[in-house]
Amino acid sequence: MSGRMRLAVCAALATLAAACALLPLVERTAWILQAALLLAVQTAVGVLGRRMPLARPLTVAAQAVAGLLLLTVVFAGSQAVGGLLPGPDAFREFGQLVQEGAEDVGRYAIPAPATTGIRLLLVGGVLVVGLIVDALAVTYGAAAPAGLPLLALYSVAAGLAKDGTDWLWFLVAAAGYLVLLLAEGRDRLARWGRVFGGGPGGAGFAPAGAVPAPVRTGRRIGALVLGIALVVPAVLPTMDSGLLDSPGRGSGAGAGDGGVTSVKPLVALQDSLKQPVNREVMRYRTSTANSRDLYLRIVALDRFDGSSWRSSERRLTELPDELPAPAGLAPDVRADLVNTSVAASGSYAQNYLPLPYPAERVRAEGRWRYEPEGRALVGDRGQTTRGLRYQVSSLLVEPTAEQLTEAPAPPTQVLREYTAVPSSLPSVVARTAREVTAGSANAYQQAVRLQDWFAVDGGFRYDTEVESGTGGQAIAKFLKDKRGFCVHYSFSMAAMARTLGIPSRVAVGFMPGTPQADGSVSVGSKDAHAWPELYFEGAGWTRFEPTPSRGSAPEYTVSQRPSAADPGVPSPAPARSAPAAPPSADDRCTARMKKLEGCVPPPQQAGGGSTGTGGPGAGALAGIAVAVLAVAALPLLPLLWRRRVRARRLADTAPRRRGKAARAAEAGAPGPEGPGRAGAGDAVVAERTLAAWRELTDSAWDYGIPPDEARSPRSAVERIVRLGELDGPAAEAAGRVATAVEQVLYAPRPRPAGGLAAEVGDVRAGLRPARGGAPGCGRRWRRARRSGCCGSSPGAGRRRPHGCGPAGRRPSAAGWGPPCARPGSAADGPSGNREEKRRGAGTSVPAPRRKAWSRKAQWPCSSRRRCQRCSMRSITVRRCRTWPRPGPPRGPAAPGWAPGLGALRQPVTASAAHPSITRKPTTLIQYCPGIITPVMRSAMPTRNPATAW
Amino acid sequence: MTTHDERASLGDPPTRAEPSVGGDLITTAERIRRAVESVIEGKPEVVRLSLTVLLAEGHLLIEDVPGVGKTMLAKALARSIDCSVRRIQFTPDLLPSDITGVSVFDQQRRDFEFKPGAIFAQIVIGDEINRASPKTQSALLESMEERQVTVDGHTYELPGPFMVVATQNPVEMEGTYPLPEAQRDRFMARVSMGYPSPEAEMRMLDTHSVVDPLDDLQPVAHAHDILKLVDAVRTVHVADSVRRYAVDLVAATRQHPELRLGASPRATLHLVRAAKAAAALAGREYALPDDVQALAVAVLAHRLLPTAQAQLGRRTAEQIILELLQRTPVPDPAAQHRWASNGHQPPGARRL
Repeated sequence: MSGRMRLAVCAALATLAAACALLPLVERTAWILQAALLLAVQTAVGVLGRRMPLARPLTVAAQAVAGLLLLTVVFAGSQAVGGLLPGPDAFREFGQLVQEGAEDVGRYAIPAPATTGIRLLLVGGVLVVGLIVDALAVTYGAAAPAGLPLLALYSVAAGLAKDGTDWLWFLVAAAGYLVLLLAEGRDRLARWGRVFGGGPGGAGFAPAGAVPAPVRTGRRIGALVLGIALVVPAVLPTMDSGLLDSPGRGSGAGAGDGGVTSVKPLVALQDSLKQPVNREVMRYRTSTANSRDLYLRIVALDRFDGSSWRSSERRLTELPDELPAPAGLAPDVRADLVNTSVAASGSYAQNYLPLPYPAERVRAEGRWRYEPEGRALVGDRGQTTRGLRYQVSSLLVEPTAEQLTEAPAPPTQVLREYTAVPSSLPSVVARTAREVTAGSANAYQQAVRLQDWFAVDGGFRYDTEVESGTGGQAIAKFLKDKRGFCVHYSFSMAAMARTLGIPSRVAVGFMPGTPQADGSVSVGSKDAHAWPELYFEGAGWTRFEPTPSRGSAPEYTVSQRPSAADPGVPSPAPARSAPAAPPSADDRCTARMKKLEGCVPPPQQAGGGSTGTGGPGAGALAGIAVAVLAVAALPLLPLLWRRRVRARRLADTAPRRRGKAARAAEAGAPGPEGPGRAGAGDAVVAERTLAAWRELTDSAWDYGIPPDEARSPRSAVERIVRLGELDGPAAEAAGRVATAVEQVLYAPRPRPAGGLAAEVGDVRAGLRPARGGAPGCGRRWRRARRSGCCGSSPGAGRRRPHGCGPAGRRPSAAGWGPPCARPGSAADGPSGNREEKRRGAGTSVPAPRRKAWSRKAQWPCSSRRRCQRCSMRSITVRRCRTWPRPGPPRGPAAPGWAPGLGALRQPVTASAAHPSITRKPTTLIQYCPGIITPVMRSAMPTRNPATAW
Repeated sequence: MTTHDERASLGDPPTRAEPSVGGDLITTAERIRRAVESVIEGKPEVVRLSLTVLLAEGHLLIEDVPGVGKTMLAKALARSIDCSVRRIQFTPDLLPSDITGVSVFDQQRRDFEFKPGAIFAQIVIGDEINRASPKTQSALLESMEERQVTVDGHTYELPGPFMVVATQNPVEMEGTYPLPEAQRDRFMARVSMGYPSPEAEMRMLDTHSVVDPLDDLQPVAHAHDILKLVDAVRTVHVADSVRRYAVDLVAATRQHPELRLGASPRATLHLVRAAKAAAALAGREYALPDDVQALAVAVLAHRLLPTAQAQLGRRTAEQIILELLQRTPVPDPAAQHRWASNGHQPPGARRL
């Protein structure tokens, strides 16, 4: 397994290990297998992309596309085009699923059932994190930052998990990350070209059984760090609420740290209702005898998104001595002051303070802050009710039915905020609300009828075991099944009240509890409750009780019942500006509803939905097909462009396509001509030749030989011939093109050279088999590395028969590269010489020039890197037979050229030079010039150079 | 001090056909090359470089460890050309007047008479030049650059062609002084002999053990031929882009962080002149960037002073120049051409 591949596998493993922390959040764990499978496919795509090799962003993009396709197949197969390609329908399905998943996450207690939405969230999240980790660690070669997405994945899980038993998952996730780091470190070590061995015998790759010392040390360090990370937080007293240990966080904890609060207490609510034993949560004494109406309210949920209620994020203020007067409470409504002292139990930690509504004055120790709109007290910086004792003065508001009946219209601001209903709310809700409240004269009657319908008439049953449905259909499902618990009743009633134009919200808290013998009242966990609050001007927020067999309906609703049932009561004119919906179907849209989201009649909506799901029309299909074709043609654009450019350049080169002047210049350039005409002819010739030259270099670039600016035409062609492994006619043709270009560029008068188009064609034909198949844009646009041929392409290094890179070395490892950048370096050896001979025969390159080149050709291949031995700045990697010399480069040092240096002529193995260093069997030697040069400078026979080591 | 005439005759011009830029130049140069190579075995590139320097009117510095044939090369080059040759053995007690000459009072004519020094020759072999003190070496400065000697207010022209071929040991050797920068700058190129290959060494054993090959060496070209060759070299065309390339290359040495002293404008001049000569020797009437590249190390390296930091890092001037060669872009000919054909000047000095 290559290093990159191992790294990719480790990245996938690390992602999965971090994803394991999500396991306790969901009931069934089958999704992790799904995620593992999809992640494996995605990783495989990445491995393939890197092997091809694609450009890095392209690899990532390919992985992302693969992940999307996989998700489509698994989650939206029926909506996809051909079961695979995600069309608009599939994306709509995704959106729906994600929304449902988000709602389910908010709704269900841990462990949540593995609904499709939640599964999509989990698997998709794991795929996304896996993609980021893979891209960071493998594609971009930075394994350490890949810990960040892993940490994000883990902390999501750890933040959601409610019990403190997830140290095991922490261990798994951290171990996954460490494995990733280990693989990367190993890869980097291997790229150095040597692996630290345990002893002199351990040369070469470490055998499978024996673990190299640094790896062993690394594992020890890793294990130690993991141990410390687990043990130290347990020892430190201040960190007992840290990452691994979060007791008491489960019961509806919200963000109470700053000025903004948002709470999701409902999951906890069902939890506590489902609990087999009724634990005492708090105990209170109150001054009023009527403790039936003393509901302890924790928080108000005032935002309705179609399926569930949440509390808005609101600013918190300092807790005033005297709380402001409750909204909408008129002085003529009877309100008795009630003093209550509460003692919360030690096991009850809630960062909202349960209070009777509306509280006037609160005396509580600790950091409590006040939320004015919902009149809730929020614990600041981890302040909870655990073991807290506090006194509350509150009002017991008792409006009469008449007062409520004659309530004027609520203020516009309240109306706007608390009657907003999302358009996704199923129409059945509003319809049912109208049916139930048909014939009601005013908002109060509507409210009472709703409450009675839920509690008495509607045939609803109280059932805490029911699973509320998913998505926006939850309320509709509840209305159909008629089974549920307080959450369903309060949610539905509040929602229906809103559709009727009555401002409403949901309050969460506790029912009054059970009076004890000593006069106190005990509130248990089974008293947790949710109820709707409706706003009536004059009385303020008024409690209703739609849940059957739970709680107590308020007085003002009970007394109304007979009159509501009485059909003889004449309907007075509606009191509010937005009247309750009359029964007639054509006038369903109130002005407010029109203003808010328009009015779509439900039947039409249903019809539209059915045509929408009927699948895309023919036009859409054709459009998609055209778009797919266009996208498919997009990668071909560079190809087409290149073809066009090539055709134009070579047409320039061909004489028949040129004008008269060109032909004249072609025919009579050597002959006597007028200076002006000759100049024009020269220009034409030069232009033509240069076009051919540009085409030649660009063709070479297409085949993976990037241009090098520091080269003259002649040496550029030499390089193309060498790297492209051209032989025979192709190399000769390239040489002729170079000669022609030299003529044009540097001679006083350019000499016309015919048939350059054919020459360029020959070169292209020669490049094609040598460089393997068609030219790739990827090759050309791959990041050009810095030094000459080393960066041209990994294939170039691999395929070179006389390459000076060590055999078997991974050429793709960045930073190593075959050190063969010098023009005509010694490593070219026979092939280079052969090539020069051919060129000499085929063209007019004079013999002495070749000599000059051969002089240059003996400069040894070298590449620079840091010396590992003396840690000097630079080190030269050369072949052993070629010594660096203080003079200008000369021929390869012949054996025996220096007396006394014979011992060094053999490839210096590490055991001789540095016993601590072992290396792969190779003819390369790494040393810094500083070690060799003194030997060379004073190459005196008497001095034994071996001692210089 | 050892100063002796090897062949004092300026001689008559030979009746041989005059060499021209074309084939005759090459044949003449080829004859000289073969003659020298018959003495110096297995070092064609060194011989070629010395010939290039000769044709480019430069002076040659041969530096290497003792015993590799430096003096042999100088003598062979001098002897294969029919011209006046003098040899100066530089010793620590050599005086400037020994080189330039001295005015002696003639008792009979009651006048000062100028006795020319050893420098008055067409080819001057300065053996072990860095064994003389810098004071003596500076006597060479005027003659090498301006080809004249000024003694007692009189200026004496030196004969043409004029070439100083100096040999020296590496500075690390015992008893040597480093050459002053000014003098190093006057040498067009520095070459190193290097050790011969085993085969060449075997052949050398055969030839040298019987008879000194220098004795057999006959002049193959006259000084006038050389002058004509030099004239021909002067006519070699150097395109704008090649000149710019040479300038870029030299300028890069002046800005290189590892160099304390870059190459001088004279180095640019020498580089282009040597490139011309190389092109002429290759039978071309125009110089290529390749010529500049091939000669850059020999022409530039000995003028550069690496910084102390670079010396600590064992960076040699040769390495730095090779690095610069890889880095400096050859001025894009196509762009240059387009500019030229449009009749505009390129906006910037360099393309990049």
